[in-house]
Amino acid sequence: MDMNEIKEIFFQECEEQLAELESGLLKLNDGDRDPETVNAVFRAVHSIKGGAGAFGLDDLVSFAHVFETTLDCVRSNKLEPNQDVLKVMLKSADVLADLTNAARDGGSVDEARSKQLIRELEALANGEVPAASEAPASKPALASQAAAPAPAAAPAVNDEGFQPIPFSFDDFGDEEKPVAPFAPTCEILFHPKRELYSKGNEAALLLRDLSRIGEMSIRCDMDSLPLLEDMNPEEAYFSWKISLVTEKGEDAVRSVFEFAEWDCDLEVRTVEEDVEADAGDDELPMQPVPFDLSILDDGDAGATAEADEPAEKEPVAATENNVVPMAAAARAEAPKTETRSAPAAQQAAAAPAAAAASAAQAAAAAPTIRVDLDRVDRLINLVGELVINQAMLSQSVIENDNNGVSSINMGLEELQQLTREIQDSVMAIRAQPVKPVFQRMSRIVREIADVTGKSVRLVTEGENTEVDKTVIDKLAEPLTHMIRNAVDHGLESPEKREAAGKNPEGTVRLTAKHRSGRIVIELADDGGGINREKVRQKAIDNDLIAADANLSDEEIDNLIFHAGFSTADKISDISGRGVGMDVVKRSIQALGGRITISSKPGQGSVFTMSLPLTLAVLDGMVVTVAGQTLVVPLTAIVETLQPEASAIHSFGASQRLISIRNSFCPLVDVGRILNFRSTQANPVDGVALLVESEGGGQRALMVDAIQGQRQVVIKSLEANYTHVPGIAAATILGDGRVALILDVDAVVAASRGQSLKQEISLAATG
Amino acid sequence: MASKKAAQKSLSLAPVLDLNEATALRDKLLALKGSDLAIDASAVERVGALCAQVLMAAAKTWEADKRSYTFAKASEPFLKTMQLIGVNIEHLLAKEIQR
Amino acid sequence: MKKKVLTVDDSRTIRNMLLVTLNNAGFETIQAEDGVEGLEVLEEANPDVIVTDINMPRLDGFGFIEGVRRNEKYRAIPILVLTTESDAEKKNRARQAGATGWIVKPFDPTKLIDAIERVTA
Repeated sequence: MDMNEIKEIFFQECEEQLAELESGLLKLNDGDRDPETVNAVFRAVHSIKGGAGAFGLDDLVSFAHVFETTLDCVRSNKLEPNQDVLKVMLKSADVLADLTNAARDGGSVDEARSKQLIRELEALANGEVPAASEAPASKPALASQAAAPAPAAAPAVNDEGFQPIPFSFDDFGDEEKPVAPFAPTCEILFHPKRELYSKGNEAALLLRDLSRIGEMSIRCDMDSLPLLEDMNPEEAYFSWKISLVTEKGEDAVRSVFEFAEWDCDLEVRTVEEDVEADAGDDELPMQPVPFDLSILDDGDAGATAEADEPAEKEPVAATENNVVPMAAAARAEAPKTETRSAPAAQQAAAAPAAAAASAAQAAAAAPTIRVDLDRVDRLINLVGELVINQAMLSQSVIENDNNGVSSINMGLEELQQLTREIQDSVMAIRAQPVKPVFQRMSRIVREIADVTGKSVRLVTEGENTEVDKTVIDKLAEPLTHMIRNAVDHGLESPEKREAAGKNPEGTVRLTAKHRSGRIVIELADDGGGINREKVRQKAIDNDLIAADANLSDEEIDNLIFHAGFSTADKISDISGRGVGMDVVKRSIQALGGRITISSKPGQGSVFTMSLPLTLAVLDGMVVTVAGQTLVVPLTAIVETLQPEASAIHSFGASQRLISIRNSFCPLVDVGRILNFRSTQANPVDGVALLVESEGGGQRALMVDAIQGQRQVVIKSLEANYTHVPGIAAATILGDGRVALILDVDAVVAASRGQSLKQEISLAATG
Repeated sequence: MASKKAAQKSLSLAPVLDLNEATALRDKLLALKGSDLAIDASAVERVGALCAQVLMAAAKTWEADKRSYTFAKASEPFLKTMQLIGVNIEHLLAKEIQR
Repeated sequence: MKKKVLTVDDSRTIRNMLLVTLNNAGFETIQAEDGVEGLEVLEEANPDVIVTDINMPRLDGFGFIEGVRRNEKYRAIPILVLTTESDAEKKNRARQAGATGWIVKPFDPTKLIDAIERVTA
């Protein structure tokens, strides 16, 4: 695994954390005050910050830092997460998401917005109440949290005997700096406390590290050591006086004690004159310590120790109870810094073993695995081939087996069953809950509510309903668009709502559920409903319907899906506001789905989308039209019937209706619409497939004959050939022939186009 | 020096003489108090300051009891660490291993 | 014998970075996702050093460190805390809980290995 892969993991994790963050904030918004909710929210931001720091994503880090600081105030009960506070936080979560996306995809973010939010977050952390707040002022005791810089770690050094530093060590570490003729000497008094040992620090290791930065002499003070029976074995009795000739300065010495300085008394001072004079004052002489890196590494040969060895041997041999000159020390130091890369090279050689080990680790840690989508798709494709192959085999066996009861036939049935199960299992791999898309919608609602000044509550249900990943991915755009429309056009202003006796806060309800092998997504608002008069007028203005057209309420409602309905000045990209619902409809149709609307004046509208659970297979009815074999998706078919001559009614030049149980339904000749034939077939010779279309009510599709029902594997026409109007995709049948899958909605739309405006006809393009 | 009448006892030190071993080491030594003692430190891989304290407190105690207290064998890491932390045990080393 | 490091962190990103860095430096790495799991694997892992995050679900770093220090058998293990420079207060709390040292985030591989080498023999 390299850094790029880890970065990829980081961004995946960011997405999860952002979702966690948002759902946590929304829970708080609903009054949840569980400390674990607050903690989870805090951790999400903290975790993003941590990872971002590792990859040097500074913008992300600094925003996350401010956000985290404010969340910490909530966590420590210094800031009450009321609605106003949460509004700022939800917006901040959105900016955090934007910054994450920008970091991944290299896009830019709205800097003014993020700066504004940083100010608002800081204000919250400082105890300032948001401007729009009606809430009582929160406690103003937070200034120290955000504004105060981190207190500098005060070294636990006794000031007595502390001498000014004679040299500037600003440049220490700069290797080009000429070596000072006389290296200064540091005198160190080190007296550990009991806690130093109990926290896992070790005086011997600290002294080892000291010995590595210079020429060290040491004296251990054992005066306070009691007799064995009186001692506490974990108490600290030893203290040390050390003199260290080093060019690295006091800072380097202190940094050795970085972890220990709280738990020891430490004095460090630099003396200019030779130490011997000082040492002479002491009753006991100091012991020189050899510069010996391996002194404590024996028997613990990690990869680094191995690499260290050539460097170590020489000083060890050279010293023997004596002091190593600094030059030798410096030589010994140089290879040491290289040990970081050397083991990496060794490791590379042993890579398979290490990879296997880490893979085992990963498997143990998580109950899920991440699989490249391409691999799953390849498997799905292969299973598709298997299904086709199995169907072809079945067919040829049936053709050669007249009585149909041979053991081969029975085996084939089992094979068919198995194939089906394999297929379902493979499809399940791609199935994912719609939750992430639904979660994204809450942001959309916030944004559009902000822009329109409306107060909106988004309620989601069935977030865990699963559907194919492709469907999920492609759902976001149309849903975004519909949500915007629902808030912008569907919901009334708070004043209007109040006047109508409604809750000034509007509700948008997003629901997902499984229904007869499809996923049904509903988007309901409790707004004013569709203004049919206005829609009708607009349709007339745009020349979509005749001024005197007699349309049912349902038909009027469905006009909003019509391509010509949007006025030109409103058409923009799909993510823009107020663009036509026809774009939404087309996106849904491209997924093999249907969308319908039902609206009640004053009570709101419900958009219902029904989508296939997968885009890979389809249950179809195989039919014959003008000598061609077509597949009609079974989900579209309400019923099939054999028309009788008495039920057929003609009107106009080419329009025909069929009467079914006392109602009339337009008859659509599929062969004519697809331009398979130039004249309409006689309905009595064929079969009518009654289909439900999204909005236009029912249509009777005329085909010549029904061959049967079967599951077919969808092969994209666009990918293999080109888009054909009226055709959704293709498939390979059991006998090896290619059959086209009918796009029922497109065919119906074409026929409705005829009834709306005569010149719209698919036949012209077919 | 050592009393020739008391039997000399010996104690082998554990390989790792860390925080966890300090109390155990003291208890082992206390059990041998009053006898001449030869310590075998040849297996020691790691020794921390706490165990060094215990060993030196024992040396002090044995000295007060006028019993002999020597390191009969010692590993290289043991000797080096003692030297590093400035604990002089030269006078406690058995003749054969003195440098 | 390779040194064994137990890392405790709930972030998959950080876990992976630790794993790669430590494996490349020749350490054996055992990973846990939070304090509870960290304490659970302690016996099996028997690490030479522990690297732990502070903010984690179920059991945070402070609780985890206290748990290790209370464990008769493993209380001597050096524990390094992953923290940020600005968290002076957290650093102190971690020390009070019994942390040996800390690694300032964002860690670079050298700093991480240095810190581990400082607290291990």
